[in-house]
Order: sequence, then structure tokens, then C-alpha cells
Amino acid sequence: MSQSSAVQDFVANVQAPEGALASLAQEGQEGLDVLPVPTRKSERWKYSPITAMLAHPVALAPAPDGWPADVEPNPVPGLEAYRIVLVNGHVVPEACDLPVADGVVCMPWRHAVDEGHLANFDWSGYHRREWVGALHAAYVQDGMFLHVDKGVTLDRPVLVHHHTTGDHTAACPRHRIVVEDQAHAEVILWHSASSGATGMVNGVLEASLGAGARLGLDKVQHEEGEVFHLAHEHVTQGKDSTFRIHSMTVKGHWVRNELNVVQQGQGAHTIMHGAYLPKDREHVDNHTTMDHTVPNCTSSELYKGILYDRSTGVFNGKVFVRQEAQLTNAYQQNANIVADAGASINAKPELEIYADDVKCSHGCTVGQFDDEALFYLKSRGIGDKAARALMVQAFIGDVLEGMSQEEVAQEVETLLADRHGWS
Amino acid sequence: MLTIKNLHAQVEDTPILKGLNLEIGPGEVHAIMGPNGSGKSTLASVLAGREDYEVTRGSVDFCGADLLDMDASVRAREGLFLAFQYPVEIPGVSNLNFMKAAINGKREHQGLEPISAKDFLALVKEKSALVELAGRLRDRSVNEGFSGGEKKRNEIFQMAMLEPTLAILDETDSGLDIDALRIVSQGVNAMRDAGRSFLVITHYQRLLDHIVPDVVHVLSEGKIVKSGPKELALELEEKGYDWIKEPAV
Amino acid sequence: MAYDREDKVLEEVTGKAYEFGFTTDIESDKAPAGLNEDIIRLISAKKNEPDWLLDWRLDAFKLWCDMVEPEWPHLQYQKPDFQAISYYAAPKQKKELASMEDVDPELRNTMDKLGISLEEQKRLSGVAVDFVMDSVSVATSFKDKLAELGIIFCSMSEAVQEHPELVRKHLGTVVPVRDNFYAALNSAVFTDGSFCYIPKGVRCPMELSTYFRINESGTGQFERTLVVADESSYVSYLEGCTAPQRDENQLHAAVVELVALDDAEIKYSTVQNWYPGDEEGKGGVFNFVTKRGICHTRSKISWTQVETGSAVTWKYPSCILKGDDSVGEFYSVAVTNNFQQADTGTKMVHLGKRTRSTIISKGISAGKSQNSYRGLVQVMPNADKARNFSQCDSLLMTDQCGAHTFPYIEIKNPTAQVEHEATTSKIGEDQIFYCLQRGIDEEQAISLIVNGYAKEVLNKLPMEFAVEAQKLLAISLEGSVG
Repeated sequence: MSQSSAVQDFVANVQAPEGALASLAQEGQEGLDVLPVPTRKSERWKYSPITAMLAHPVALAPAPDGWPADVEPNPVPGLEAYRIVLVNGHVVPEACDLPVADGVVCMPWRHAVDEGHLANFDWSGYHRREWVGALHAAYVQDGMFLHVDKGVTLDRPVLVHHHTTGDHTAACPRHRIVVEDQAHAEVILWHSASSGATGMVNGVLEASLGAGARLGLDKVQHEEGEVFHLAHEHVTQGKDSTFRIHSMTVKGHWVRNELNVVQQGQGAHTIMHGAYLPKDREHVDNHTTMDHTVPNCTSSELYKGILYDRSTGVFNGKVFVRQEAQLTNAYQQNANIVADAGASINAKPELEIYADDVKCSHGCTVGQFDDEALFYLKSRGIGDKAARALMVQAFIGDVLEGMSQEEVAQEVETLLADRHGWS
Repeated sequence: MLTIKNLHAQVEDTPILKGLNLEIGPGEVHAIMGPNGSGKSTLASVLAGREDYEVTRGSVDFCGADLLDMDASVRAREGLFLAFQYPVEIPGVSNLNFMKAAINGKREHQGLEPISAKDFLALVKEKSALVELAGRLRDRSVNEGFSGGEKKRNEIFQMAMLEPTLAILDETDSGLDIDALRIVSQGVNAMRDAGRSFLVITHYQRLLDHIVPDVVHVLSEGKIVKSGPKELALELEEKGYDWIKEPAV
Repeated sequence: MAYDREDKVLEEVTGKAYEFGFTTDIESDKAPAGLNEDIIRLISAKKNEPDWLLDWRLDAFKLWCDMVEPEWPHLQYQKPDFQAISYYAAPKQKKELASMEDVDPELRNTMDKLGISLEEQKRLSGVAVDFVMDSVSVATSFKDKLAELGIIFCSMSEAVQEHPELVRKHLGTVVPVRDNFYAALNSAVFTDGSFCYIPKGVRCPMELSTYFRINESGTGQFERTLVVADESSYVSYLEGCTAPQRDENQLHAAVVELVALDDAEIKYSTVQNWYPGDEEGKGGVFNFVTKRGICHTRSKISWTQVETGSAVTWKYPSCILKGDDSVGEFYSVAVTNNFQQADTGTKMVHLGKRTRSTIISKGISAGKSQNSYRGLVQVMPNADKARNFSQCDSLLMTDQCGAHTFPYIEIKNPTAQVEHEATTSKIGEDQIFYCLQRGIDEEQAISLIVNGYAKEVLNKLPMEFAVEAQKLLAISLEGSVG
């Protein structure tokens, strides 16, 4: 009740879902009243205040009449994948291609709720902790539910494509992935938006990995328009499991990616890689938490950014090593290039260590392209622009190469080349 | 000088030494050979007093005193030296300060005043010549950034500085090229005298060409299964370890 | 198995009572507890201050009333009750002292216990000492020699009387009154401190040093230090602290301002050993300090600190690199043991072109303590070709303590080069065994290893301070390996 009127307006038109979702939405509503709206003064949001987003009220869009004709449901040429597609938070069933196989359940998240597949809505407690989480819960819509049984390997990756369109649209997709013991799944998260789109995408993905399970995410954000994109991914890992994410922000007006990984079983391994290349006045924030709670786990984190024009980048990576988590090996690296006057980067690589027999290191650099290397390329007859393009590709190469789907990596390169005029 | 009787030792409940007997007299050089996993390095660690190694039975007498009753640093001050198979790096601590602390520890134990700066430097000069240890290595942090060979030479330099009664060389030849092997061996040989004994632990015979032992022992499965003159080493080199093991069955 | 023995050693050493814990009994001229405008007027009147300074204090007080204590540090403690503190206490001294012999014998005894008697300092090290007991300076020395060079080194109270123009010109210019909660509080109630001015082109021939000491029971201490190095001058300033043992928490909220004018250099070294509380975490000093320097063209400010004391430390000696080609440095060793908490680091704000900064921070955590590095490197849009290198290492001695790194890197210039590295490691059992095998006992082995780890920072201290600091590290950590 204490929130300003602008905020009141922003969230005024929420329609509370009914049925099984009512309690989650209700908690979200309550959270909106009691949780503080993030400002520059909140430590977790100091570099990404949401003031600009709150200036224009948004509303949930009605369910669309099918998939928009001008958008490819599969944005990645040549990619062979199952597919679940959403427009403004609504699943469009006719454009989906869901896997049908023994040991695999894949359906719209809302169906899974109705069928009782989700016993517990609040693994991450996000909507009780953060105002934007409460906002998501209050608006919560639909998404993908994927459950892979013990020992089952999904034969093809699943593409989850979310498209945003329209004016002042609010979209709150929510996905859940469960990979049981020794099972394996690869998922591609693709976000697009049409050129006139404005509003907010506020999505949540929850994933849990059983013992020895493997889950890989290739995440691509390529959104036209002026969409504020808040993403919250919460992953829990069992014993000897491997979780991997490669997150590429190709284009986005204002992006905040929050990634929380909690290792709950010994021998777990986590790979978090990401790259961001904002232009113009874009803003990209990657906010990661790597939580080592048990012994003998490893994590490797690498985020790379190039900031063009008057864009701003944020990297806030936190590594927790809890007292129990002896013999942790955690590595975190963040490298940035500020390419133009007017661009800026705010980096905060954090270590919070409560166990002594551990190997933890982090590094952060801000610099330029190596003049020597540029000169070397030019001396071999490569033009300045091409030389720079090569350097950029080399810089983000180790992030791109780690993506599991080669077609996705190639498409990302193509999009980047178009955007930055490399070709 | 050193009498080991029926020594049993284990690491984390895994028995490794299973009734080892060994006697080394003053001025003698003994070599211990044996296949990987036979307990060679465990023996070195147990004698030096590494805490992860638990002695479950047996006794070790060192110059009339109960060795197993002493702390690792007391053993060192009493004259036991271990040349480590993998010498440890200690960043920021200069080699010379390290040696000075060690020498003064020993002198304190003997009821002597700390060594004077002048005497210490003279000693450093004399002993480093022995292993051709350049000033640059002496002045750097302990083993930090040293090559494998430099580390081993530093071990022998430290041995020369501390003038032990019993020196245990744990696979000192591993990772050495032929020049380094020669330098290390020269250093050891220069230190041989009637009052000082050596226990040379090695996997290969080649070190024993340079440091010629009085007795060679073969260690297998935590026990000494055969002892003999230096020629035994040659025989082992030729035939491998299997022929030793078989008659023991 | 290996842990058992080391735990025992740890217990023995942490059981060691605070070595410098003693209280001196001197009659105090003490204000009643509490803070209001009247108290501030009292302080100002007692010190015979000019009106502008009283107004400045009152403005600070007004600002402070609307401020809240910072919550962001990684610290947990009972917030002080600011109305329960007495804001003024002066040892009763009849008048100005002509010589050392006039100093209160009780006071001199205290100095002897600390091993820093003025005579000794004079004879042995050629250091001029401005000894601050509670809040009023009682003795200074070497003044004449410094005066010949035009160097002013005196208590802040004296400076306000003798050199009001210099004080007025610089006071609060580096740490503005509104800077933070504690700086505002200090501005309102500071009672004394040190003032130093080095004239143009003068190289101060000796290390200037001040020993601080909290003494009066229930008295917070609010030091105000101002060092101004005029163009092309140089000064090395030392500050060292010990404090007596007591049960209730004591607040220490100092402000230190450094001004390095064109081509000047200030080297500011601190060894801090306030009472850290007992092994139960009871008592100990709260050290909430604002230290900042401003660098003009081609000038250099270098902060070196060895922090072993205090129950709670909140301290970020910083450099505003305003002038082109100016240089800021921060070298720190912070040791925490038992239940100590430290949140310390630096801020390097690059405003001028080609400004350079270096940060070397070595944290050592033992017992159940929490040790955090918090630092800011900021490169502003005009700071072309700014450079920063930061290295933040943490050494953990037990599995009960914490070591944390919170660097903030804010870069707004495409020509900046910033590099931050941080590592965490455990004191190596194999390193200790290696030392043991060479006949070095465990206590000494830890001392060697820790001093080796902190060497890069200790090397930056003036020689006489470095020896003291090494001893302090050894005392703080004896046997505390886990």
C-alpha cells in the first residue's frame, strides 16, 4: 500500500488467475504490497533501477489468434528440435511440436499445473524475496513443463521460443524443467520481439537435476522494440549432476538476467557462460549466484561483454561457498571491452567463502582490443572493420563455441554480424 | 643409529607398512628400492613424522631415543632430514630466512645462541657451492617458481646447511636430468662421513651409480623382502621386481 | 587427526589475553553522556573555537540527525547508542607543557607500557610523536626542527587557534560533512586530532607519527586528522593504535583527510590494534573510519595499513585522483580472529587523465571471524587512459571463519584498463610440515608463512613500522591454523 502511484498504476490491471494458480498469484499480490520496489539504493538493483520500466503501465495481452505470420516459429535455420512457442506469455498450440516419447512429459506449463505435475510452486521463493518476483507471480501466465524420467535422454533438444508483440504488453512466462537421475536434456530458450513492441517480459524458469543428470541451456535474447526483459532462472543440482548454460544477449532494450544455481549434491558441476554486446542505449545486466552448499563440487563461470555506443553493462556474479562445502573448486571470470566513449560497465564479482579447504578465484578486466593484434591483422591486408570483427568473434568465441547446438551458435553469429555490420 | 622394529603404519585405515625391520649404522648408506605402492614414500613420511600417517605397531629408535615420540620439528632438530620427493613452495618466504629459522631452531634445541649474520652468510656461501646453487635461487622464495631440478638441488643445499645425522632422500632422482643428477649426487657424496648415514629411496638403479650404497633393501607390500650388497640393485634393474615377490609367497 | 592438534594450538593461542590491555587512571574533564546542540556548543567553547567552526559543527549535526547508519557492510553488531556516549573528555592538564618532564607521570607510565615513550622515540628513531590520549594532545616533540622547515605538525585544536586559515581552507574538502553517517557525526563532535602542513618543495626529513589510544571509560573517540602537502612536497605519516581492555563496546569514528597538491606525495601508514574483544566476542572497539585523500596533478597518495584489532572495522582509505597523472595506492593486510569482523578496502576514483591506481589487499581470517574486502574502482568519462590493478587475496586459517570479496568496478571510459584478481586459499598443511621437517616449530612456521603471504604489503611500511607490524601479525595469529 505504501508504493507510489506510478507503481500502483503499473500493476493495476492484474487479473488474478483461478484454480490451482490462485494461491501463487495471491502471494504475488501480497508481495507487491509489502516488498520494496527496487531502486538505485537497493544493493541488488543499484546498477539496474527499474524506474524507466515503471513509467509506462503495462497489461496482459489477450490470447493471440495463432502464431504471427511474419515470425518463424523456429528462428534457427536447420535446427532440428522439438518446439514449444509462446506469444506474449500464451502458448500457441498449433505452432508447437512437442516430443512424444516414453519417459518424457512435455506440455504447456498451465496444463501441468492443472494435471497436478507441480506440487510446489515456490522452489526459488523468488516472489517472496523480490518485488519483481512478486510481480511475475501476480501476472503468471504459461510456459513449458518438461519432465525427463530416470535414465532417459531426450533425442532432440527442445526449443522454447517466446515472442513479444504489441504496445505496453506484460508477459510473464514460467517454465519448469525436471531432469531425473541419470537423465539428459538440452533446451534452447529463444526470446524475440517485434520491432514495435513495448512493455515487459518477466519470466521465471525453474529447473532441478537429479543425481548424475545433465541439463544444458542455450539461451538467446534477440528482441527488437523497447521491451524490458526480466529473467529469473533458478536451478538446483543433485549429486554428480552437470548443469550448463550459455547465454547470449544479441539485442535487447533493457535486460536483466538473474541466474541462481544451488548445488545440493556432492560432485555437481556447473558451467555458466554468457556474452553481451549491447549497442545504442541498451542495458544488459547479468546477475548470477553460484551457491556451493555441499563438498566436492566445481563451478566455472565466464561472462564476456563488449559495450558499444552509449550502452551500459552490468555483471554481478556471486560465488557462495558454505561452511559444509569443503574442496570446492570455483572459478569466475568477467572480461569487458568498453568500445566507445559514453558506454560503461559496472562489474561486481563477489566471493563469499565460509569453508577453508577450497580453491576459489575470480578475475575481472576492463580493457580494449589489443592494438598489436589489430595491427598484425591489418598488416596481413585485413581491413580495419574486418579486423575488428575478427577480434570480436575471437573475444566472444569461447562463449559461442560452448553452445551445444551448432546451428544456434551459427545463427547468433549471423545476427551479430548483421547487427554490427561485420559482413 | 636407526633401528626400526616391526613397524606397522596406515593412512586413513589402509595399512601400508606391515612389519618393517631395518637397522642403519653410523656412516652407512642404505638404499630402499621397490615397486610403486610398496610403501617407500610412506616409510619416509612416517620417519619424518607426517601426521596423516598413523603408526599402529612397532618402534623406531633414533640415536638412543624413541623417534616416534617426537614432533616433526624435534626430529629435525635431533638430526633427521628428509629431502622431499615434492618440495613445497612457500610464497613470500625467502630461502635464506627459511634456513635461518631452521638453523636457529636447531641451535636453540642444542642450547646455543642464534647464529650470527656473518657466520650464517659464510655457511650459505660454502654450502651453496656444493650444489652449484646460484645466488638468484638462494634469494628467492622457498621453491617458488623453481624447476624440478632446482627444487631438488635446493633440498640438498638445505641438507648441507642443516648437517643432519640421518638424511632420507625420497626419490630425489625423480624428474632430474643427467646434469642435475650429477650435481645432486656430488652434493650428497661430499657429505658422506663416518657420523652421517643416508637412506636413499629410489625406484631406479641409476641414482645408485652415483650414490653407491652399502646395503640395498627391497621393499614389497610394506615389508623388506630382500637385502643385499649394491649388486642387488643391478639385478633388480635387470629382472624387475616380480622375481623377488614370488619366493615370498 | 591432523586437525585435532592444530585445533588445540588454536585454542591455546586464542585463549591468550590481550597483551596491551590495561587502563590508566587519570582524572577526566568529562561531558555528560548524550548528543545535542548544547553538547556541541560545549565542545566548541571548551576548545575556544571560532564561530565558523561552531557553525560548521552545528550544520554537520543537523545533517547527521537525518542520516541512518549504513546497512550495506557485511557486518553484524549491536548498533551503538549515540545518546549513551560522552562526547568530550580531556585529561586534566594545568597548562601547556614546556618539556617532557612536565607530562603527568601516570600518562608517561602508559606510554612506557606501550613502548612508545617520547624520549625513546626521540632518541632511537628520530620520529616526532604527537601522542593523543583520549581527545586532547598532551605532548608533541621535534616541533622546533620541523618549524625550521616551515612544517606545521600539531594537534588539531592548536591548528584551529594558530593556523585557522589553513584549517578553514581544507577541513571538510576531502570528506564533506554529508559524506556518510560517521563522517557527519565526527564533523559535529570531533574533539582533537592531528594537523600537518608541508610547505612547497619541502621534503619532510622524518616520519611523522601519531599514536592514538582510547582511554576514558565510556568515551567515544572522534579524531580529526588533516594532512596538507603543498606543491612538490613529501611526507610520510605513521599512525598506530592500541587500546585498553574493557567490556562495553567503544566507538571510534575518525576522519582523516589528505590533500596532495601538484607534484606532492603523501605516504600514510597505519598499524591498527584496537582491542578486538575477548575470545567470546565480548567487548572490543568499533572502528568506523573515513579516510580519504585528494590527489592533484602528478601527485601521489599511498595508503598502507595493517589491521589486526577492533571488534568491528569499517574502513575504506580512498583516493580521489583528480589531477592528471596522479597516482593512488592502497596496500592492506587485515587480520581477523575469534569473533572479529572487518569490512575494509578502498575506493579509487579516477577523474584525471592517465591516473593510475594499485590495490593490494591481503586478508587473513582465523577463529570464527569474518573478513571482507570491499573496494570501488571508478573510472569517470574524462579519465582517459586510466589504469588500475587490483589483487585481493584471502587466506583462511580455520573452517569456521569467512573470507569475502566485494569489488565494485565502474568504468565509463573506453580507454581504461582495469584488472582485478582475487584468490582464496588455505594455509597449507604441506607448507607447515615442510617447515616442521626443517626444525621450525609450528608457531614460527605459521608466522613465517603468513608474513610471506603479506610480504608485498609489509614491504611498503617504513622500516621501524614493518618490524612492529610483523610482530603484531605473529601475535594476532599464533597457532591459529585450522
